Amino acid sequence: MISKVLVANRGEIALRVVRACDELGIATVAVYSDADAAAPHVLAAGQAVRIGLPPPAESYLCMERIIEAARATGADAIHPGYGFLAENHAFASACEDAGLIFIGPPPSAIAAMGSKISARRLMDAARVPIVPGETPADQSDAAIEAAARRAGFPLLIKAAAGGGGKGMRLVRREADLAAALSGARHEAAVAFGDGTLYVERLITRPRHVEIQVFADAHGGAVHLFERDCSVQRRHQKVIEESPSPALTPALRSQMGEAAVAAARAVGYRNAGTIEFLLEGEGDAARFYFLEMNTRLQVEHPVTEAVTAVDLVHAQLRVAAGGRLPWTQQALQQRGHAIECRVYAEDPSAGYLPQAGRIALYRPPERPGVRIDAGVVEGSEVPVHYDPMIAKVIAHAETRETAIERMRAALSEFRILGLPTNIAFLLAVLESPAFRAGAIDTAYLDGEGAGLAAPLTLPPAALAAAVAHGQTPVAAAAIGGERAPDDPWTSLAGWRG
Amino acid sequence: MEAARRFIVRQGEVATPVEVLADGRVRVGGQDGVFTVTALGSGEYVVSGGGATWRVAVAGPPDARWVGCEGVSACVDVQPEGLPREMRARGVAGGLSAPMPGTVIDVAVGVGQQVRAGDLLLTLEAMKMELPIRAPRDGTVSAVRCAPGELVQPGPLLVEIT
Repeated sequence: MISKVLVANRGEIALRVVRACDELGIATVAVYSDADAAAPHVLAAGQAVRIGLPPPAESYLCMERIIEAARATGADAIHPGYGFLAENHAFASACEDAGLIFIGPPPSAIAAMGSKISARRLMDAARVPIVPGETPADQSDAAIEAAARRAGFPLLIKAAAGGGGKGMRLVRREADLAAALSGARHEAAVAFGDGTLYVERLITRPRHVEIQVFADAHGGAVHLFERDCSVQRRHQKVIEESPSPALTPALRSQMGEAAVAAARAVGYRNAGTIEFLLEGEGDAARFYFLEMNTRLQVEHPVTEAVTAVDLVHAQLRVAAGGRLPWTQQALQQRGHAIECRVYAEDPSAGYLPQAGRIALYRPPERPGVRIDAGVVEGSEVPVHYDPMIAKVIAHAETRETAIERMRAALSEFRILGLPTNIAFLLAVLESPAFRAGAIDTAYLDGEGAGLAAPLTLPPAALAAAVAHGQTPVAAAAIGGERAPDDPWTSLAGWRG
Repeated sequence: MEAARRFIVRQGEVATPVEVLADGRVRVGGQDGVFTVTALGSGEYVVSGGGATWRVAVAGPPDARWVGCEGVSACVDVQPEGLPREMRARGVAGGLSAPMPGTVIDVAVGVGQQVRAGDLLLTLEAMKMELPIRAPRDGTVSAVRCAPGELVQPGPLLVEIT
């Protein structure tokens, strides 16, 4: 049993977890830095504990203070949210050592998936497809060429001892292999004092398709289908959706099975996500293990929308020792869901993150639209943390309707006081490539880089800009056709 | 006192004349159109004209007035026509105040120094990035109101140029 949860996070995800606990009759404790003393997650929780200064290293990343806050308030479990300490196996261990339930996977699973090399080895052993590649024990030219042929072209030759592009060669055809090999070996030896080479297939223009998994402590493990997160800018997810426009039913079930096998291979428990790269089209498409996110994801509401489950409720139940609330057969994907991440960033200034006060905040209200936000009107977006303001999730019967619903919701989402990426999100939603479901992970940084957000206000908006803040008399006059005793006009005059 | 009827609205480098007509309607630009603006309260407006209708949200003071309409939002400067534009940085790239809260990591100029438009005045650090603050025009530095290590907020002038 869990009776009181400390939420070791801030913003929308802290609020999400507090609300889930409320619904299950579990008491809550928020933690906050000085930048968040009046933040919505602090006001929503039953108790709140200050844990330090605004920089994350002095508050939200400070394990000792968070565990001490849990002890002091009598919490018996800690939910890490995402980011901060969520994928820190030392923190998960420290919780266990302190007699607290860590609402997430065992520390061993976090550690196993945290190392790319160990994760790749484990996945290969569990027969989860990995990107073909190897470090040949025999480093002769002939042996490396044979390994390259096994991996397939195009491929990358990399220095086994290091990164940073030193010793790396892209080889498109077998004919170019010999020349690339000697160049890479020389460069690797000079840069790292070790000429050992590694070959790996290059997955060109992949889609990012991830599978939500969930496992309990009683041997139960299921998947909750996919999320397509191919709409990325500089490796940051911008829009996520489920189902993926790229998956056939056969591929979906293969990937689901592979994801469950991956979770079992590391003794996983609680919610997790297996990220895959998807290459090619239709039933002939192939998927490769990329990494596992050993936590709840930002984009989890997409899965909740199409499967009608509550992943945080399930996290709390499973962490308390309960069984999974669903069997695989009971889980179905219904309709189509899209999530857009609304960030405080300035598309006209290289997507520079923005901080400041949200002077006006009016979220859209529509059927099928969910807003997960950690701010209210008047909130400060602090300079110290991720500048995400809100997530907008639209769910509808079809992808086309979900896109239209999202467009309407974003158009109606009024956030003033700092620049946001809403106009850019609308530009992506309206692009022919997104409409066709044809965006891969390289798109926004490549041919889609010119998808410019319209930044010019229509003339009608300038009329309101001038009318705003006029004296009551002038405001009434600007009311124009309405009579002076019209309630709207007098209300406007009264409220300024 | 008679309220000003003619305004200049600046969005970035673009200045648009806006006139409040005698009947209360608002003319935007030379020929862009005449609109009826109805206040719904709390900064929300319905604007109609030429058979179309827009929902517009507005917040902030005239020199940093945020306007949102159909997914596009921007910060504009609203001034009565004929007034010289005050030197203000907010909403204008490369100004004299902090574009976001940040820490001053370097002050590159001193009082009395001549600067040219585009010269580096100071460097802020915010969200793990360095943000150069540059002179918006030629002039002489008449005051420096911040020091390295100081946490600064948007709004107050950090450097004054005359």
